[in-house]
Amino acid sequence: MKEETWFKMLVVSTILHILIVGAFSIPMKKSSKKIEMLSSYAVNLVGDPGVGALGGEGRISESRPAHAKKVPEAKVTKPVPATKKPVPVKAKPRLERKEKEAAVSLSRKKTPTKEAPTKEATTREELSRLNDRIKEIRKRTDYLDVSRASGAGGSPGKTGSGYGLPGSSEGGSRPMDPVSQQYILGIWEKIKNSWGLPGMSSFKKDLETIVTIKIRKDGRIVDINIEKRSGNRMYDESILRVLRSVDPLPSIPASLNMDTMEIGFRFLPGDLS
Amino acid sequence: MLYSAGPVAKAVVFILFIFSIVSWTIILYKWNQYRKAEKEGEKFIKTAKNADSFKKLISTYRENPDNIFYRLMLASYKELTSIQKDNPGIRPEVIQHVDNALKITLSEETERLERRLPFLATTANVAPFIGLFGTVWGIMDSFREIGLRGTTSLSVVAPGISEALIATAIGLATAIPAVLAYNYFIGRLKRISSKMENASMYILNLLEK
Repeated sequence: MKEETWFKMLVVSTILHILIVGAFSIPMKKSSKKIEMLSSYAVNLVGDPGVGALGGEGRISESRPAHAKKVPEAKVTKPVPATKKPVPVKAKPRLERKEKEAAVSLSRKKTPTKEAPTKEATTREELSRLNDRIKEIRKRTDYLDVSRASGAGGSPGKTGSGYGLPGSSEGGSRPMDPVSQQYILGIWEKIKNSWGLPGMSSFKKDLETIVTIKIRKDGRIVDINIEKRSGNRMYDESILRVLRSVDPLPSIPASLNMDTMEIGFRFLPGDLS
Repeated sequence: MLYSAGPVAKAVVFILFIFSIVSWTIILYKWNQYRKAEKEGEKFIKTAKNADSFKKLISTYRENPDNIFYRLMLASYKELTSIQKDNPGIRPEVIQHVDNALKITLSEETERLERRLPFLATTANVAPFIGLFGTVWGIMDSFREIGLRGTTSLSVVAPGISEALIATAIGLATAIPAVLAYNYFIGRLKRISSKMENASMYILNLLEK
């Protein structure tokens, strides 16, 4: 009789515990998902079409064809997330490649004194650059633009040695050289690893923030510029915070021979997971 | 959150879970037992007050064998009959014998009521420490992680610490009901044993009548 009651109570207690754990695990599962999501958030690097066109008017016209070339390429890459589901294994490497290619626009600027003669041209360029960017944003394509601001005049000789491509036209059509690609990927990894904030998965999937940063030779970020706000303040601030937190980035490889480097990033809440 | 935890954290949580299940089993069991005992005690004292003789008390109070007060009476009755076999009549020695028999039954019953209660005290004392152990282990792990990754970003540190703190939370969640229940049951036990003593006094008084 006594043992029977004991057993009954044991069963009741076990059921009670299972119920409580079950009740707790429902929100907990959600939160653990959140954590997984955080790690899989991807930072897409975006091309910065105009940056390369700092050299002069001629350069803009040169870089535009580059965009024209780009767009179809972007259209090819865009459906990738859709094809991801049936063939996830294949999709991943492709995505990575896309990231790599989408890496960044990289621009090199001369010191201000050297740029002085082309300042007016630069402002006009900046306008067209912004237009270009807006177009790009509308298309929401992940494309790559590697271009170089060759500084005053844009003559290869004046830009100094190191970066093998003579002009931005070639740079626009091809990914950058492996060293800078490597470097930018490194930066991207660093940012991606420290990016994340609680409740991130509650953000809408279509948030997009485009930020360009300017890096000094020694790796210091000298300028952070939001090109496009996502509209969600928390989201934007998390990005600014992470950019500030990673601040001394690795210094620009000496072989690139650059004083400053401008890199654009596109931050998307992860559809790459 | 626990899926990603390390083996130590899982073991700690498992142990605490077992502790919690057992202590809740004891809580429910004791609560049921004490509730019954108290009810019976009140009923017994009420009947004993109105009864004229021991025989009458026994005859009016004979329905439930699984009853502490019934067992008290039974013990005294057995003792009485075994003595009265040889020489009937109630003498002071007989009363003394019955009193002893009642005391023995009383202590047996008290022991029965106290049984398994110390586990609650153990749970109350040990569970927070087990939880703390899990937490310390988890925090050690997450510091090592910081060292390996070389970053102190919140997204690296926070999950580990949050995982680690779960162990303490579960430890406390196990210990707090155990402490409350233990203290409550100790109080209740005192009341029941005083009722049992009163009952044995009533029995002796009725015998002397």
